[in-house]
Amino acid sequence: MIDAREAVRIAFRSIRAHKLRSALTVLGIVIGIASVITFTTFGASVQADVLGRIGTTNANDVYVFATSSNSSGFGQVVQPVFTQHDVAQLSSVRGVRRVIPRGTIATSSIALGSTTIARRRVTATTPGTFRNRSIVAGRGFHAGANEVVLNERAVKQFGGNVSVGDSLTITFAGNRSRTMPVVGIVNGTAGQLPVSNFAGRARVYLPLHPFYRTIVRSPTLGVRQSAYPEVTVVTDPTRTRSAKRSIAAYLRKRSDAAQLKPGGTRLVARTSGDFVSQIGSVITRITRFVTGIAVIALVVGAIGIANIMLVSVSERTKEIGIMKAVGAGNRDVMSIFLLEAASLGAIGALVGIPVGLVVAFAATRYVSVAFALAPVWLGIAVAVGVLVGVVAGLYPAWRAARVNPIDALRYE
Amino acid sequence: MRRAETGSETTDAVVTLRDVRKTYELGGVVEALAGVSLALSRGSYTAVMGPSGSGKSTLLNLIGALDVPTSGDVVVDGRQIATASEAERAAIRGTEIGFVFQTFNLLPRLTAVENVAMPLVFAGVPRDDRERRARAVLEDVGLGDRLEHLPSELSGGQRQRVAIARALAAEPALVLADEPTGNVDTETGARVLDRFDQIHAAGNTVLLVTHERHVAARAERIVHLRDGRIDHVEALDETARGSES
Repeated sequence: MIDAREAVRIAFRSIRAHKLRSALTVLGIVIGIASVITFTTFGASVQADVLGRIGTTNANDVYVFATSSNSSGFGQVVQPVFTQHDVAQLSSVRGVRRVIPRGTIATSSIALGSTTIARRRVTATTPGTFRNRSIVAGRGFHAGANEVVLNERAVKQFGGNVSVGDSLTITFAGNRSRTMPVVGIVNGTAGQLPVSNFAGRARVYLPLHPFYRTIVRSPTLGVRQSAYPEVTVVTDPTRTRSAKRSIAAYLRKRSDAAQLKPGGTRLVARTSGDFVSQIGSVITRITRFVTGIAVIALVVGAIGIANIMLVSVSERTKEIGIMKAVGAGNRDVMSIFLLEAASLGAIGALVGIPVGLVVAFAATRYVSVAFALAPVWLGIAVAVGVLVGVVAGLYPAWRAARVNPIDALRYE
Repeated sequence: MRRAETGSETTDAVVTLRDVRKTYELGGVVEALAGVSLALSRGSYTAVMGPSGSGKSTLLNLIGALDVPTSGDVVVDGRQIATASEAERAAIRGTEIGFVFQTFNLLPRLTAVENVAMPLVFAGVPRDDRERRARAVLEDVGLGDRLEHLPSELSGGQRQRVAIARALAAEPALVLADEPTGNVDTETGARVLDRFDQIHAAGNTVLLVTHERHVAARAERIVHLRDGRIDHVEALDETARGSES
C-alpha cells in the first residue's frame, strides 16, 4: 500500500498542476463553508448577546402573566387579572419568599423643574421590586409613601440631570397632579420581565399605595379589590422548580386570574431560565434554518469537486495505467484520488473559515451585537469540508480504481 | 539484482506458461492465444517475435500480470496469475515484474528519481530507502546527473533509460520489454539494446517483445508466435539455456 504522505504529495502535485482549475473548484467550497460559518457565528453572537442581556441573575424569580394562547409565550397580554387575593394565595405557596405585583398607572406628563415630558403610564409596584444590586443611587421607595424611583433611561429623558432629592411633578390621567421627591435611581433590570429589558425603555416607579387604583371584583371572595397585570414571585433558590409548579397549578385551578383572564389567553409562570432557553431555542432554530440554506452552497461546491475530479480521472487515465503497471492496486489509485478530492475540500474549508468569520464579524458590527465564536462549528466546518470532498470524490475515485491498465496504457 | 545460478543447467523457471488460452468477446470469439506453453528460466534472455495479431501483446499482458488467462496456467516466480486477486496481481506487477514500454510511460510531473521510485512507493518501501535505491539504479544506467530532471527535460534515449531504471528499481524476477526501441532512433536503439545486454549479464531474466529481427537477435532465443500459437523457437547461440515445450 502507498503510504499516506506519498499519496498526499501526489494529490497536491496534481492540484498544483492545475492552479486555476483547482482554485475555482475550491472557491465553491470556500463560499459554502464561509456562508455556514457566517450564519452560525452570527447566530451564536446574537444568541450570546441576547441571553447575556437577559442574564440569569434573578434565576429564582418566577414571572407570572397572561399571554395569548396561540403564541410562544413572549407577548404579554396586559390585563389586570391577578387580584390581591391571588397575590395573598401565591405568598403562601411553599418555597415562595415574597410576591411582587406590578401594574400601570395612566399619566399624561411628568415635570422636573422647567422640563416637562409627555408620559402615558408609570409602573406601580411594591418596594420588594428593588434589589440592592439594581439600585444605582438612593434607595427604593417605601410603601404608602409619596416617593418616586426612576431608571437610568428615564433620567436620560430629562437630559441626565436628575439626582436623588429632586422634586418630580407627575400629572395623572384626569389632570390630577402630585409632586414627590426622587428617592432612588435604578438600572434597567429593576424587577421587570427579563424580555422587557431589550426595549431598554424609560421607567418611572411609584408605590402601589396610594397611587394604584385598578380595582376588580374577586370572583373567589366576591369583593372588589386591586388587580394587577403581572406578578413576580421571588422563590427560595433551592425550591424554584417546585414552587413554579405549585404556582402554575394554583393559577390553573383556583386563581381569580383563571376566571378573569380574557378569552384566548392563558396564564404562564416563567423563570428567567425559561426565557433564556426559549429565546435560545428560537434563535437556534432560525440559525439552523439559515445555515441549511447556506449548506446548498456547499452542495454546489461538492458538485464542482465531483465534476473536476471526473475530468481529472479521464485526463490521467494513462497515468493510472502506468501506476497500475508498476504495482499500484485499486485501493492505491482510489486513495490517491480520494485524497485529492478531500484536499480540495479541506483547502476550501481552511480558506472559508476566516472568510466566514470576517463576514460574521462585519455583520455583528452592523447590527451592534457583540461578536462571539462558535468554536464547535469551526471544527465541524473543516470536517464537513473534508467530508464533502471525500463524498464528491468517491465516484470519480472509484472510476479511477476501475481503470483497466491494459486499455489505459494504450490510451493517448 | 538477482544472480542466476551460473554453471548449472538450471530448471528454475521464473515464468511458466502451460497451455495458456486467451479469448476475447469482440462481436464474436477471438482467440488471441490458442494454447501456449513456455518457460523462462532464471537469468535467460528471450525475445518474442511475430506479426501483428499473433498474440504478442496478449502474451505480454498475461506474463506481466496485467491480465488473466481464459484457461491454462501462468506462473510468475511461483505465483499463479490465473487465480490471483486483483490486489495480488498488482503486488506481483510491483515486485516481480519490471515493465519497459515502447512509449516510456513516465509520469510527466515526476522527476527521474520519483519515476524510478514509483514501484517502490506501492511496494511499501520507506521513503529514504526508495530514494537511495532510485538514485543508485539511475546511476547504474548512466543518469546520475539527471536525477531531478522531468521527463520533458530528457531526450528519448534518456527517458528510456529512466524507464529501464524504473523497471529494475524493485529488483524484479523478470524484466518485460515491449518494443523498447520502437520510439527512439537507430543509434539510441542500439544503446538501449546494449543496456538490456548489461541487464541480462547482471543476472536478470529478460523477455523482450518486438517485431524487428535485429532487436530480437540480441536475445539467447527467439520465440516465434503466429496466430496465437508458438510457431517455433529459435536458439541463437551455444549458451542458450531456454527450455522448449
